[in-house]
Amino acid sequence: MTPPQRERRAPQPGTEQDPGRLYVITGGTDGTQRAPLDLVALIVARSEAPPTAAPEQTALLKLCKRPLSVAEISAYLGLPFSVVTVLVTELLAADLVESRAPVVRSALPERSLLEAVMHGLQKL
Amino acid sequence: MVSVQSPPGGREVPYARVLLLPAILMAAATGAAVATVPEPARMAVGLCGGIGALMVLGVAVEAVRRGRTVKRLHRQYADRLAYLERRVALYDAQTEHIGKQLLPDTLYRVQQGESPAEAMRVVIDQNPDYRDLPDPQRKLLRTVLDILERGEAMRDATASAFVHIARRVQAIVHQQSVELREMEEDHGRTPEVFDDLLRLDHGTALIGRLADSVAVLGGSRPGRQWPKPVPLYSVLRGAMSRILDYHRVDLESIAKVAVNGISVEPVIHACAELLDNATRYSPPQTRVHVTAVEVQTGIAIEIEDGGVSLSEEGRKRAETMLAEAQEGMDLQSLSETPRLGLAVVGRLSAMYNMQVSLRQSAYGGVRAVLIVPRDMLTGAPAPALAHGIGASAVPRVDNDGNPIQELERAPKKRRPTSGPPTPLSALEDDIPVVTEWTATGLPQRRSRNKTPLAERYAEARAAKEREAAEARAAEARAAIPGQRQAPPPREPEKEEPAPGLWVEAFMNGLKGGGDQQGTPGAVESKPRADDYSTEDEGDLK
Repeated sequence: MTPPQRERRAPQPGTEQDPGRLYVITGGTDGTQRAPLDLVALIVARSEAPPTAAPEQTALLKLCKRPLSVAEISAYLGLPFSVVTVLVTELLAADLVESRAPVVRSALPERSLLEAVMHGLQKL
Repeated sequence: MVSVQSPPGGREVPYARVLLLPAILMAAATGAAVATVPEPARMAVGLCGGIGALMVLGVAVEAVRRGRTVKRLHRQYADRLAYLERRVALYDAQTEHIGKQLLPDTLYRVQQGESPAEAMRVVIDQNPDYRDLPDPQRKLLRTVLDILERGEAMRDATASAFVHIARRVQAIVHQQSVELREMEEDHGRTPEVFDDLLRLDHGTALIGRLADSVAVLGGSRPGRQWPKPVPLYSVLRGAMSRILDYHRVDLESIAKVAVNGISVEPVIHACAELLDNATRYSPPQTRVHVTAVEVQTGIAIEIEDGGVSLSEEGRKRAETMLAEAQEGMDLQSLSETPRLGLAVVGRLSAMYNMQVSLRQSAYGGVRAVLIVPRDMLTGAPAPALAHGIGASAVPRVDNDGNPIQELERAPKKRRPTSGPPTPLSALEDDIPVVTEWTATGLPQRRSRNKTPLAERYAEARAAKEREAAEARAAEARAAIPGQRQAPPPREPEKEEPAPGLWVEAFMNGLKGGGDQQGTPGAVESKPRADDYSTEDEGDLK
């Protein structure tokens, strides 16, 4: 059984526009500074972009005047999800955006506990 | 110096006058002798005198003749000497002339790419002063020129070989960076893979810059071209992405202009080299500030670092290096200058009419200013500043409010790699496998462990009891010091004794002392303490 292949975005061949690479945008994080954001986490801008913000962040703040999911931001900006999470993490730290996290998976009770409850109920 | 004593030619004294004096003297002497001697001897004396006079005359004639010959020869030799000295002086002058004028002229022409024959014709044959240059000297000149031309050809071949190799590396690096970009898209949702990809991407960019440098030093122009104008901000980001310490670079107040597609690569490369110098020769905790302002002639990109101050001497040396590179530096002299960067910047600025200057910065470090001429910039609207964000960053609507259909993305060539293999348990977690149904019709979910829960509980209980029993056995053993000296070899595949057998084992141990091998209980009672865990696990499996 193979999982369904998603049609993923790819930069169009031959029309690469930007000589800057993605690591310049993320600023070389080692992956530990990412906020735990989900694809469906909603991001809302809390203020205007400061003049010193990077262009991507300015664009992100402009996009997020209304709540927008990280997935949508990623699509509109044409940047991979991991880059967007870094950008959003920086903006979160600067208090420029607010994230409304969806239900976090780990908040659900553990499976073994549920099973124990089920067995207990069955024995009644 | 050379004095010619010979009398002026053509005034030869006739023989008659020269011989007159000895003839008269001899005649007089003979006459006197004849007069003084007595009569009978007169005849003989007269005869002898006559013969003597004749002999004297003959000798005199011969002497005079020889004297004249000697004089003539002397004159001839003097003439010849003078002639030869003139010739030597002429040759000296010609040699000097060849060394000082002809050779440099022709060498220069050959270095500029003319063939030796062409250079000879232009420099020698077209100049009336040199036209009568003797053949041997022509040959000499020609030989030197041929050798030089061969050397130049070899150097050109070497340089072009370097360029060729660099081009191939560039092509590979370009291909790889495109593929890395695709992979970054593919693995955008797995941050660990993504970060690793970014690191690879960075390393690839560094290799690419090195290949670009080799190509530029080999005398070629940057190969890569961008199809559309690129905003200066992106160009500078491109420069940043090719250096090691890119996170130390701050882009501040970058003028909103765009660079022509064909001029993007040289500006990126020159800036990258300057940024590399700036970050490399400043302390790692300092920042490098980049600003770009419009000036009369174009755009001035200033790169300031907070490193060591550039002394006047150091500045002069750096500028000399730049100037040398602008004039076209030999690849040989590179071995003496490990700082490739300035050489590359010099070459690039000479090729594209950019101006570079290094000054002392207000921060105490170096301020490099690169002036990009106006003809490398464009007034045409460039895409937006942000990475990858074109005009279609948000869903667009036309004037009537209908959404504009954006261009379809081209299908991609590389098959996207599927992400890391999903663990089976996670899949199971999402899609429960229903295999049985309860009596009431509800789905019966099987636990992932295939043993029933009751069985597992029983096992756990047995294990606990066993542990307790063994702990007690160990305590008992500790009470008898003699037992500890000889721990018996343990048989691995042994049935676990039932709880309670330890008493018998204990008693056996007390009785037997030496022959623990005989009773299995005794053997089991003395496993080493660290074996418990493994045995328990093995039992549970």
